[in-house]
Amino acid sequence: MASAAATRGTSAAVKVVKPIFSRDLDEAKRRVRELYRAWYREVPNTVALFQLDISVRQGRDKVREMFNKNKHVTDPRVIDMLVIKGKMELQETINVWKQKTHIMRYFHETETPRPTDFLSKFYAGHDP
Amino acid sequence: MLRLPVVSRALSGVAHTKGYGAAAGNVRTAATTASNLVEVFVDGKPVLVEPGTTVLQACEKVGVQIPRFCYHERLSVAGNCRMCLVEIEKAPKVLNINSVGKSTHWLLWLAVMVLEDLNPVPVAACAMPVMKGWNILTNSEKTKKAREGVMEFLLANHPLDCPICDQGGECDLQDQSMMFGSDRSRFTEGKRAVEDKNIGPLIKTIMTRCIQCTRCIRFASEIAGVDDLGTTGRGNEMQVGTYVEKMFMSELSGNVIDICPVGALTSKPYAFTARPWETRKTESIDVLDAVGSNIVVSTRGGEVMRILPRLNEDVNEEWISDKTRFAYDGLKRQRLTQPMVKDISGQLVPTSWEDVLTRVAGALQGAQGKDVAAIVGGLVDAEALIALKDLLNQLNSDNLCTEEVFPMAGAGTDLRSNYLLNTRISGIEEADLLLLVGTNPRYEAPLFSARVRKSWLHNDLQVALVGRKVDLSYTYEHLGESAQVLQEIVAGTHPFCKNLAQAKHPVVVLGSACLQRDDGAAVHSLVSTIAQNVRVTSGVQDSWKVLNVLHRVASQVAALDLGYKAGVEAIRNNPPKVLFLLGADGGCVTRQDLPKNSLIIYQGHHGDIGAPMADIILPGAAYTEKCGTYVNTEGRAQQTRVAVTSPGMAREDWKIIRAISELAGITLPYDTLDEVRNRLAEVAPNLVRYDDVEEANYFKQANELSKAVNQTLLSEPLVPPQLTVRDFYMTDPISRASQTMAKCVKAVTEGAQAVEEPSIC
Amino acid sequence: MSIFRLKMAASLVRLVRGGLTRSFNITRSSSVVSARCEATTTETRPTVRPKDAVTHNQLSAFGEYVAEILPKYVQQVQVTCFDELEVMIHPDGVIPVLTFLRDHTNAQFKNMVDLTAVDIPTHQNRFEIVYNLLSLRYNSRIRVKTYTDELTPVDSSVSVHQAANWYEREVWDMFGVFFANHPDLRRILTDYGFEGHPFRKDFPLSGYVEVRYDDEVKRVVAEPVELSQEFRKFDLNSPWEVFPAYREPADAGKLEAGDKKPESK
Repeated sequence: MASAAATRGTSAAVKVVKPIFSRDLDEAKRRVRELYRAWYREVPNTVALFQLDISVRQGRDKVREMFNKNKHVTDPRVIDMLVIKGKMELQETINVWKQKTHIMRYFHETETPRPTDFLSKFYAGHDP
Repeated sequence: MLRLPVVSRALSGVAHTKGYGAAAGNVRTAATTASNLVEVFVDGKPVLVEPGTTVLQACEKVGVQIPRFCYHERLSVAGNCRMCLVEIEKAPKVLNINSVGKSTHWLLWLAVMVLEDLNPVPVAACAMPVMKGWNILTNSEKTKKAREGVMEFLLANHPLDCPICDQGGECDLQDQSMMFGSDRSRFTEGKRAVEDKNIGPLIKTIMTRCIQCTRCIRFASEIAGVDDLGTTGRGNEMQVGTYVEKMFMSELSGNVIDICPVGALTSKPYAFTARPWETRKTESIDVLDAVGSNIVVSTRGGEVMRILPRLNEDVNEEWISDKTRFAYDGLKRQRLTQPMVKDISGQLVPTSWEDVLTRVAGALQGAQGKDVAAIVGGLVDAEALIALKDLLNQLNSDNLCTEEVFPMAGAGTDLRSNYLLNTRISGIEEADLLLLVGTNPRYEAPLFSARVRKSWLHNDLQVALVGRKVDLSYTYEHLGESAQVLQEIVAGTHPFCKNLAQAKHPVVVLGSACLQRDDGAAVHSLVSTIAQNVRVTSGVQDSWKVLNVLHRVASQVAALDLGYKAGVEAIRNNPPKVLFLLGADGGCVTRQDLPKNSLIIYQGHHGDIGAPMADIILPGAAYTEKCGTYVNTEGRAQQTRVAVTSPGMAREDWKIIRAISELAGITLPYDTLDEVRNRLAEVAPNLVRYDDVEEANYFKQANELSKAVNQTLLSEPLVPPQLTVRDFYMTDPISRASQTMAKCVKAVTEGAQAVEEPSIC
Repeated sequence: MSIFRLKMAASLVRLVRGGLTRSFNITRSSSVVSARCEATTTETRPTVRPKDAVTHNQLSAFGEYVAEILPKYVQQVQVTCFDELEVMIHPDGVIPVLTFLRDHTNAQFKNMVDLTAVDIPTHQNRFEIVYNLLSLRYNSRIRVKTYTDELTPVDSSVSVHQAANWYEREVWDMFGVFFANHPDLRRILTDYGFEGHPFRKDFPLSGYVEVRYDDEVKRVVAEPVELSQEFRKFDLNSPWEVFPAYREPADAGKLEAGDKKPESK
């Protein structure tokens, strides 16, 4: 796949920007869907393998949330870059290179949300 | 000695000259009359300067800086360090004797003869006036060699103790020897050593490091007006000191630390605490007097390490008073760090913010209208003032008072011109007659006083004083102690009226101390009338302001601008059930003045006078810990900035009041500093126009209104509260908590030896 | 070495024979270089690096030779003040240029010593990719530079030099430059789950997260960074600075030979 992308890349060198993989938005979207599907399928395995204290449902919700976080992106190159990084994360997860702590970092369990209204900020400390 | 009859005002910042410099000084005044400019060349670049400009100033004009140690632009020229030597190529023209005209000074003659020598010679740039067609070589081989030689001589007797020297990192000698000195030494002889002097608890002397630039001596005699420092001995034996063991007793003494180009004079409280490069600098404003000096707060690791002056030509030039500079250790002591509540046994016990705020809000909800009152002290910022005013107004109460009294009779505080220093601090330099009433500016506003001295020295300012005789750093005519003298002046029967009538730019300054008396309104009215009369007789134009009030506390003008009532009389007459003290440490109202079951809330940063009598204590932030607006006595709005976070659970004052309002169910409509400032701008737009002075007018109308005042003058003399330097050091909660200031008081009463210092100092 | 010199002489000749059809930057830079060489006399000051005119001329001649052969990719050739030959190329030419330098008889730069990147945020193409090559055969080194931005992939040089594998992973991890056709492009230095590329200039020195062991959840957790201690920052200006003019470095123009921007065509 990568080599195919490369040949396409060189052929499109005349264009203003050189695509990473996808030549247009549809292709980029297809890659995103592929990645989402792969993550979606992987979640039960991950939960079992890492002995996580979460349900598969929670895991899939988190995956969805992470994808939704970047739904405003429309540049195919940026999407490709995000897909590359997502794949990398997926690979690390599937191969159990990651540990439980890395997976659970997505859930921000220990962080206390920052106060937003005046009074709670006042009680919390000096920072505005 | 310094105050010679002046021909014309000394040129831009260059004071009178003596000794060698005198030649240059005379040339300058003689030549200024010729209006044509002189063309000289700096490294070949042509520049047109006024005749009589020194070589150094001419170079400065084209952006070429010449190294120097003894020259300081606010002091007279000494010309004794020789670091500013530059080579000069003279125009081929021969000496035109007529060009120097009738000048008969032999030194001038000699100088001219030396200059007209055909060989280019290095000359001291700071003392040498330029002549037509000179080419000043600031970077030639000869110049460089001359600098290197001078530097070698200076370093011959300078100890190599930079690693343990407090000046390290901000040392002129260090910097300039890196830039202009040689990289090796030929000096193998022994170095000179000089005994250190004890000149008080503020300034540490390591006299071996002194390079005899005499800046401190000139500062003491010219700016501070204290002829304490001088030189003894000559040649290798020359020493700077006080000759007999005594204190350098001046309210501006700390500035010699800044002007000392080496580490001979350093700060005692700051000794061995920090290096300049590791501190963070925050540009801020001083609030310990009403002048609002511009300062830089140096901090490290959340602690104020020292306070330095910041240049502001309109306010403090580049000096600050000793209280401003050294009282910062009071910010670390006696602080209120936790909210506290008085329990049944009468003990104040620490508690949480939630608890105190609920209590305060509950108390405020129960009280309406005249049951609630507030008193604000002298260190409160405008943001807290507006928040408190809005809070109490929401409760239908308008009992908001300042501790400082200002007579409300006549125009009172309705017209701003009544309570401002209208002439401005820098305006004193243009005045030719100054009448002080019931004030001791030297200790109430040291930098105002320094300005007066500057004008007295260079501009022949005539000073007169009504009130208790005090030691000012300039001579004055003492007209009498009691307020009756003012009546005589108004009536025109006093001999001083002659002088008043002749004044072209008269200024009358009324100290706020005499407004605290029961006859304050009458005194103010009399002074207002004097000012108005003098104004008419002097025929000065409309933009010149005559009437001035010199305040003593930083918050007063902002409070009056925002509509606070001056004085606590209203509260004594109508004792409230809930009294809110916002930094009120003057002790104007005591528990005895209030009904038995009344609740006193104190909000502030120091446990001083107000806090012990309170039922609830809300810890606030001091001026180095908040972004606050202060208006100085001129009406100039300036802001402090956050240099360190406030200790413990202390919070910014306006935030505390805003939090109370929310719990009391009358939420104030601002959450951020910007929103508070928008609100400030609604009430008094001048408060957020920073560094700008909002002018006040309607002197005549104010005077008309003041004539309606009919109060009998008391016969007691007008005595300002700060009579000697002893009274200067501790005037507010911060300086009262400061150990350094306590040492100063001890030193001036018992002598410098009475203060023990740690052995390392 | 003799062959090397001979061939270079030939290249010079060819350049002359080829006429002035190609007026590259090379000609300009080399002429500047030679002019400077002539101007300097033997340097005797102990603290000043002596000029080595022979090496310098050899390198510039070889640079011209490379530019002559690969006119499509080479944009500029320069010899730095430390006698290092630098070849600036278009990013499309990474494989051909490296292959040429590896396989050409007169070059034989068979070792990839280093591959790294430089982030210059003010440039249009903010990343500069630097290849340092060594020719054991001729005891000579060459530096190849190209450029890219955050989103443009650069062809991986692993097919030319195996050594580039981990270097490219490092550049990907630290700068976020994507290498197309890399066999195994994944993180190499940062922790799993780490976000951002730490060598970018816009990455804060303190990072975004800090880790600690949490006793409740019994594992290491990462939380947004909160500096409990003052960030050390030295302010080296004296508050009494009176001679700022003398503080400015006198030799600001020292790097004129080495800092030509590669993206200028």
